[in-house]
Amino acid sequence: MLNRRDFLKAGAGLALAAALPARAANKSAHVVVIGGGVGGATAAKYLKLYDPELRVTVIEVNRSYIRPYGSSEVLTGHASIDELVVSYDALKSKYGVEFVFDTVVGFDPAKKQVRTAGRQSIAYDKLVVSPGISLQYQAIPGYSAAVAEVRVPSGWIPGTQTALLTKQLRAMRPGGSFVIVAPPNPYRCPPGPYERAALVTEWMRRHNPTGKVLILDPKDSFVTDATMQLGWHRLYGYNIPDSYLSDMPAGVKNSGKPSPIEWVRAMDGGATEKIDARTLTVMTKQGAVKADVLNIIPPMKAGKLAFDMGLTDASGWCPVDHRSFESSVHPEVFVIGDASIADAMPKSGFSANNQAKVTARAIVDQLAGRVPGEPVWSNTCYALAGSDYGLFVADVFRLKDGKIARVPGERYLPIDAAPAKIRLAAAYQQAWLKTFTEDCFA
Amino acid sequence: MGTLMKASLFVLAVLAAASTHAAEPTGEAMAATCAACHGTHGKLGIVEYMPLAGLSEKEFVRAMQDFRSGKRLSTLMGHVANGFSDNEILAMAKYFANVK
Repeated sequence: MLNRRDFLKAGAGLALAAALPARAANKSAHVVVIGGGVGGATAAKYLKLYDPELRVTVIEVNRSYIRPYGSSEVLTGHASIDELVVSYDALKSKYGVEFVFDTVVGFDPAKKQVRTAGRQSIAYDKLVVSPGISLQYQAIPGYSAAVAEVRVPSGWIPGTQTALLTKQLRAMRPGGSFVIVAPPNPYRCPPGPYERAALVTEWMRRHNPTGKVLILDPKDSFVTDATMQLGWHRLYGYNIPDSYLSDMPAGVKNSGKPSPIEWVRAMDGGATEKIDARTLTVMTKQGAVKADVLNIIPPMKAGKLAFDMGLTDASGWCPVDHRSFESSVHPEVFVIGDASIADAMPKSGFSANNQAKVTARAIVDQLAGRVPGEPVWSNTCYALAGSDYGLFVADVFRLKDGKIARVPGERYLPIDAAPAKIRLAAAYQQAWLKTFTEDCFA
Repeated sequence: MGTLMKASLFVLAVLAAASTHAAEPTGEAMAATCAACHGTHGKLGIVEYMPLAGLSEKEFVRAMQDFRSGKRLSTLMGHVANGFSDNEILAMAKYFANVK
């Protein structure tokens, strides 16, 4: 693979004749979007909605998208991996978005061109980059991308590892331990590891009733927090840590009996120091933990392309101007979704979708010589503690002194929520998978 | 009510109006945040969420105010509605009422 300098050179050495002209006289502007995930697809669609005259081209390596949101439901057989596949057809036929199925291998910000592995040179007036995340397997000694494919799957970007993890869960010995190593902040889908733990626990009650789920965590809290733990407690007899008991509704008491789901926080020695993939052993501060199935959700950084294009800073994420998500490194380049530094906004599909719309509007305004208006974003995520037990986090975000800030207020399911509300949240979670996919891709 | 107090209330009201007008997103921009559940332009085929396209201004404003006050039960809409001012809710209402 090219290093960053080679990558930039590959962009620079273009035969000019081959380059598509960005903007011939009185022709519409050309916006190129790299990455056909939630951020890229939504940006492409809304660019065309806001200005149908615009030429919009998405460069994406895969012919269709496998959605990560809801993908833990594959482990329990609630959804098949085929149901996660999303087509790009509607973006092409309904909105006139053009697609180039190829990999970007070069970038020349001065000439405003990118180059693909298939030797196409593509010129842009504005460039949107939505590169997603890269999983830092090697950050955990003993772990690697190769190990993840054959022995210790992460299953955080759905695909072959999701299939492997599903197979391992089904083949686990009766009474075995399914160990989830949760990631440090920031990472994609904050409630995700805890929802996965819940769904696997629910599955085991039916299929492996003496099996256990253990979460090893380098953090002391997580998004949905007490509300998720109350769900685990009600459904599976989870023992709530003392420090959370005061947040619970009256009458909630731990049984003291061993629970099929356990959460080991950083303060209790939950941080992973290294693993032995052969023996499926996790070394923590507290000692060695032996797993029967080991699911590691590793630390994350911006997608590799963001590094290749020089869009990241020392944090491993991409700094942007928050009014438009224009890169702080390269003008006319906009970085959206998980890869961007979005302050209080979580790394979620919903955030990427909302960022894409703000960026699409800003680009259309800029091209028309208008000053982009005041931005606003929201994020709502429904999560499950069980198939019929829903909870959520909901926020509105505003620009405040150049930073994205959460509008203060309640954001979780009330701890004393009525059972009907909890059931409804689970129904809405399932509905959202459909309506959200439609807003991004159809 | 004393004159001074009346005057200061007037000043507060003017300040509040000024601060909400200073940086207000357009109805379209706010409506785009709703679309991630309620469908692009508030248009929706499935039944679980309320399609917002074509709702009358009055209906939309009342729904959002009732979500805010808790008069209308919701899962997360109360939290979302709390993130917007009266002016902004009206701007969203105008946007959705005009979606064909």
